[in-house]
Amino acid sequence: MKPAVCLLCLAGVWGLPAPASAIQLHTGNAGIIAHQIGHLFFLFSMVALMFTINNQGLIRQKGWRLIQVTALFFIFWNLDTLAAHFLDNQIEVVRIETLSITRMAVVTESDSELLAVIYYFLKLDHLWCVPAMIFLLMGLNSLLKDQRQRSDSADGV
Amino acid sequence: MTANLPILLVDVLGSVAMVVLGVLSLFKARSLRDLDPDNVVFLYLIWICAGFTIFAVSRSLSHILRQFLVLTGSGDIWHDIGPYTGAINTISFMLVGTVTLFFNQSWRINEKILSAKQKQEDTSAKLLELNQTLEQKVVERTEMLTSSEHKARRIFEHSLDTIMVTDPWFNIVEINRAGVALTGFQKADMLDKKMGLKDFLTIPSENERIFKLLETHEYVLNEETDFLRADRSFVRVLITGGVDYGAFGCGKTFHFIIKNINDKRQMEQQIAQADKLAALGELSAGVAHEINNPLGIILGYTQLMLKNPGDHEEDLKTIEKHVKNCKIVVSDLLTFSRKGSTKMQPIDVCKVVDDVISFLGNHSDFKNVQVTSPGPCTGPLKVFGNEQELAQVIINLMINACHAVEKTGRILVETGTDDQDQVLITVKDNGTGIREKDFSRIFDPFFTTKPVGQGTGLGLSVGYGIIRRHGGDITARNRKEKGAAFTISLPRAGAADDNPDREKTR
Repeated sequence: MKPAVCLLCLAGVWGLPAPASAIQLHTGNAGIIAHQIGHLFFLFSMVALMFTINNQGLIRQKGWRLIQVTALFFIFWNLDTLAAHFLDNQIEVVRIETLSITRMAVVTESDSELLAVIYYFLKLDHLWCVPAMIFLLMGLNSLLKDQRQRSDSADGV
Repeated sequence: MTANLPILLVDVLGSVAMVVLGVLSLFKARSLRDLDPDNVVFLYLIWICAGFTIFAVSRSLSHILRQFLVLTGSGDIWHDIGPYTGAINTISFMLVGTVTLFFNQSWRINEKILSAKQKQEDTSAKLLELNQTLEQKVVERTEMLTSSEHKARRIFEHSLDTIMVTDPWFNIVEINRAGVALTGFQKADMLDKKMGLKDFLTIPSENERIFKLLETHEYVLNEETDFLRADRSFVRVLITGGVDYGAFGCGKTFHFIIKNINDKRQMEQQIAQADKLAALGELSAGVAHEINNPLGIILGYTQLMLKNPGDHEEDLKTIEKHVKNCKIVVSDLLTFSRKGSTKMQPIDVCKVVDDVISFLGNHSDFKNVQVTSPGPCTGPLKVFGNEQELAQVIINLMINACHAVEKTGRILVETGTDDQDQVLITVKDNGTGIREKDFSRIFDPFFTTKPVGQGTGLGLSVGYGIIRRHGGDITARNRKEKGAAFTISLPRAGAADDNPDREKTR
């Protein structure tokens, strides 16, 4: 491109009568949306991990099968947290009020008992992620055991 | 709806469990990678476990902190720091997700690395095997080569024929032991003096022919020639040789095999001589037999007529004298042709020789001839034969020697044995020797070099016949110094021959 044309374009852009909007303001929901996208991304990566383990034939090894179960539990955990965050942070139809150290109240906008129950169980998300981590540890343990056996046989022990 | 402890407990205990499990997982992943540091998947597992651990720690701490702050009535503080912990949570599981998405590629890379590693190991194993095979083959070939070289060297060194290697100018490069023995030179001398084939082939006509063949055809096959030895004597040899243009950087050489056929030639000549003499013997026997009877009748009638001689007495005596001479000749011929009868018994050669020497010492022809013997004959040198006939042969040889030295020389008579336990009697003189051309004829009947009237030419042939009848042989040669030497070889008498009862008639 010739320098004269470049200069003309630059002058045109400079001369436009619109305000500069390079830095935009973020509303209060931007954080939760980013967090939700993170959960979706995590979920998607776990699905991809499951398929990869399947496609690469790693499912024959117990360790990788356990890691696949880990991925499955994290998928459920992500779905759980997505739903929970949607209800309490995104649309804000439900919230928890701490009454005392041993008592909390699930308060819904519409006083829906069902929604409260659902949210109650959604809050127990550790029931997904802790088993997921347990399966991950078991899977790694199994892989470590296999690798040690392989190393020993390679060393002729 | 009001809920209580379960949410709190699950939240707090779950958070603690997540932290513990995350740390344990990270520890396991590190152990896994320590076992195989080159494994990309294990590296990936470390990353993912690290992500999970960060996620677990940040999430769990935020949850515990939140519960603590809310329960302690510090909800405002949580309200302030909550976004930060949430953001850290988001980043941590985004990190886990990102790392996980690279798992497929990590696995493929690892597969490729493992495949390349396997190929490298296979190639290395093949190379090792090839190397070992090559080493084995080198060892085997080296052994074969050594064995082959050893065999070739043994053939070269132990060959009874001369093997000579020369350069393109026929100078000796290598020669085996038989060659050293044939030439009579030291091997080092031949190599130092750069002696060549031309130094040994000195007969111009044969020399020219052989070297012309070598130049034109580059080989000679079974060429017979005389070979000059270090002592200036000649041996008859058969030469076969050819060119070798060399290999492995060796230059052009000629290889010769030289076969000594001197003994074979001499033996052939002796056989031919023996055949000739046998034929002559047959002829002489026939002639003598036919003449002997008429001579007897002529002699008988002549002697009868001499009883009443009348006017022809002188004539009759002349007839009688010549007939008697004829009878002697016929008798000699019969002796030569082995037709006579002889009494054989064990005889002492020393005694026979001493008797002959003392007998001839009184002969007028031997007055100026010095007859010597190297020492007293140490016996017993016994042969089985006829003493008179053996004495006759020795007398004939000594008379011939006396004529050869022209009655003023020296005659040496030796007795002994050879390595084949043959009794040897040698008569040597320092006379004129035997001419080369006469060697093949000296044992022929009637062959003589003496002036007419001085010899019948039957002495040696009769001697030859006698010695052959005794199972022996008689040979003649010229001495290196001067004169000739005649050697009689007779089989030595064994213990069985000493028995007087074994006397027999041939």
